Amino acid sequence: MLKKVRGAYLVEAILLNLLNGISYGMVLFLIASGMSIVMGIMGITNLAHGALYMVGAYVGWTIAVQYDLSFWLAALLGGLGAGLVGFLIERGFLRHLYKQPNEQVLLTFGFVYVLTNLCIWVWGGRFRTQFTDPALAGFVNFAGLSYPAARVEIILIGLVLAAGLWWLQEKTRIGAIVRAGMDDKEMTMGLGINLERVAMLVFFLASFIAGFAGVIGAQLLGVNSMMGTDMLLLALIVIIVGGVGSIQGALFGGILIGVVDALGKAFFPGLAMFTMYLAMIIILLVKPSGLMGREL
Amino acid sequence: MGEALRVEGLSKRFGGVQALSEVSFCVQTGERLAIIGPNGAGKTTLFNLISGQLPVTAGRIYFFGREITNLAVYRRAHLGLARSFQITSLFLNLSVLENTLLTLYGTRPSRYQMLRSIYADRQILAKAREVIEETLLWEKRDWPVKNISYGEQRRLEIGLTLAAGPKLLLLDEPSNGLTSAESAGIVKMINQLGKKMTVLIVAHDMDLVFGVAERIIVLHYGQIISIGRPEEIQADPRVKEIYMGIGEGAESA
Amino acid sequence: MAESRPEPRRWFRHGQLIQFIPLLSAGIVLIVLPVFLPSHLQIVMTKFLIFALFAISFDLIFGYAGLLSLGHAAYFGAGGYTVAVLMLRYDINSFWIGVLLGLFSAALVAALFGLIVLRVSGLYFLLLTFALGQLLYSVAWNWKWLNSPGMQGIAGLSFPDLGFLPVSWNNLNFYYFVLLFFALSYFILRKITNSPFGHALVGIREGEARMQSLGYHTWLYKYLAFVIAGTFAGLAGIFFAYHNRMIAPGHFGVTTSFLPMAMAIIGGSGTLFGPVIGAAMIVFVEYFASIVTPDRWPLILGSIFVLSIMYVRDGIGVYLSRLGKKVSYLWGKH
Repeated sequence: MLKKVRGAYLVEAILLNLLNGISYGMVLFLIASGMSIVMGIMGITNLAHGALYMVGAYVGWTIAVQYDLSFWLAALLGGLGAGLVGFLIERGFLRHLYKQPNEQVLLTFGFVYVLTNLCIWVWGGRFRTQFTDPALAGFVNFAGLSYPAARVEIILIGLVLAAGLWWLQEKTRIGAIVRAGMDDKEMTMGLGINLERVAMLVFFLASFIAGFAGVIGAQLLGVNSMMGTDMLLLALIVIIVGGVGSIQGALFGGILIGVVDALGKAFFPGLAMFTMYLAMIIILLVKPSGLMGREL
Repeated sequence: MGEALRVEGLSKRFGGVQALSEVSFCVQTGERLAIIGPNGAGKTTLFNLISGQLPVTAGRIYFFGREITNLAVYRRAHLGLARSFQITSLFLNLSVLENTLLTLYGTRPSRYQMLRSIYADRQILAKAREVIEETLLWEKRDWPVKNISYGEQRRLEIGLTLAAGPKLLLLDEPSNGLTSAESAGIVKMINQLGKKMTVLIVAHDMDLVFGVAERIIVLHYGQIISIGRPEEIQADPRVKEIYMGIGEGAESA
Repeated sequence: MAESRPEPRRWFRHGQLIQFIPLLSAGIVLIVLPVFLPSHLQIVMTKFLIFALFAISFDLIFGYAGLLSLGHAAYFGAGGYTVAVLMLRYDINSFWIGVLLGLFSAALVAALFGLIVLRVSGLYFLLLTFALGQLLYSVAWNWKWLNSPGMQGIAGLSFPDLGFLPVSWNNLNFYYFVLLFFALSYFILRKITNSPFGHALVGIREGEARMQSLGYHTWLYKYLAFVIAGTFAGLAGIFFAYHNRMIAPGHFGVTTSFLPMAMAIIGGSGTLFGPVIGAAMIVFVEYFASIVTPDRWPLILGSIFVLSIMYVRDGIGVYLSRLGKKVSYLWGKH
């Protein structure tokens, strides 16, 4: 395989795949960030997070493809749709299982089934192809390379979101509350801060990001009914690698996994599927709290 | 007669906090040794190192002459080390009888038995009955432990540490939360243990300490301030200074 | 009068017969009923037995040892795929070879995976078991050797060959064949859960640190339970392959792993009969629901599961057994 790609073409191939990996990795970051935040702050492992991504993707498809409206509107509504579903799950069910983390995990897994089947019911089981904003359907040229504009946009969005979340976490009052809550729930509540309200907001935000990620990711991955579990697994791998509750970790983990996957598929096609699993298993065994995470 | 326990240069560090520094002492077989000190002095940490719940940062531990510094927790139980915990660690959802049986099987080879019922071994059942009756809980043997009173739980927990016939007993705040009558019961029980049993106690309850201890170690900020017989400790001005309440029989809340 | 050992459980005083009613009725239902059922329902009964076995194998590590694994189907699939590959690639349809190799491969996978997953706990255990199951799914999907030509999975399986025992299979006698192994497995697992080993698993669930201080090598207990559970799951997978006529990559994956979990929880985990009841409920509800709305079954299953967690926490089987105990207590009072 490597022998086929010679000289300058090797560099170009690596660069292209690197960029592919990074753009894919940004999508992974988008999904994983929300889930990781919820895990870190609320201690909830929301296995339905992948399903929320899927819901957002389907809603986005309906807006952008079926009704042929603006892609960005689709992304927004996809986020809102997923946010709403997430909100209902949290308010209607998870809240009542506050002290029982095991039951919460199980419950969210039941919702994967429910949401997946609901999506099939509404949208049918066919795979939907990738879609994007028509303006981004072309290529950009730089450094003698021609690269899909959509992927560039994804990378930019990922960076913007990462910056935004980081700013939220480090520089705002809400962020401070959230960080305090992560460290010491009782103390924070004792200070009179309505942690429940904040938690609700965080869960909605995380779900919104998941749905938004669904539409953004649809530019690369399309939409299908297996995404509930497929994206869940990917998000979990990223979180494990990057560490729970860490935005930098999710970003780093996402990019790492994305690049490993892309380079693996390009240069070692037979082993591609294993590289990700292997990376995750090794990291978990060597440093169980992830590359940047806090001890769980 | 010999050394039941020897601790050399024991230190424990948690991140930036030095919980224990250079703690060294030894305990003779059959001795009753109490470890006292203000809150945060490192008493429970010391116990955790000896019983193996925490790894040491530096130093060595010898159990009847054998080094156990890095030995796994469960192995130490087989050597004859038993421990009670400050906060009740009994299996709350399981019955008194089940708790007792689990304790008894812990150091027996038949604990791996997969095909006979846990109730099939008459000998162990008889021993379980003995242990439970000792703690006056026979009538309640089928009750889940969470349903018996706190005092009964403490009594059961301590009774269970004796059940497997250990050589060294570590009792962490055994009278915590007990009434003075119940505490007196603990004192009586400890004094009835034979000369073969070595006992280390961490306690705040001075009545308990003076009722039982032959020697006392005083810890403060992770270091040994003083070791000696009860009268010596009582008279030691350093001890009085850091731990006001000695001699006034300060009871735990 | 001094007793020489703890008195036998109180219900003996109320007449031993009462306690045997559930067992007796279960026996009647399982042994006698199928004769009178139409063929398609006999098939459902067999499916129920297979999944009941799968579910109780899961409950050994979940309900007893307290380990939540999202990848239990890995061993189920290992068993099923072994007999499938034997038939597809080696033309071997012997039950004895199939079951021997199938159990061996399921145990092997469990032994290997156990070494990996038991190094971590809680959330990471969950994720690793999930990922490993999906890994096998991925392998089964991509590796041509594990697939019948032109499709995903292996089809064309049939009832096994019993070698020296000439038998012409039909739905009814296959059912009894499976029932035999189910009863044997249940019996063995009953022994295990009543044993010191089984009780130690519960102790580990309730307080692993304390168990260690009592002298238990807790990792070893979890590992042994993991391998035993995986082996029984593999047995279920073997019968599933014969019964289902085909096996697919999805049978390694999380959607299959969910089933024994749902059955154990809905029926009542931490007991052996709970998962059996859960399996009965789910298999039969699925059968009848599929007649009405074949596509919406996962939705129904998911909803039952969610409602069960929210409102019937201990599981329906446990709830029924409590009811039964109350009834027998009241009965005994007369």
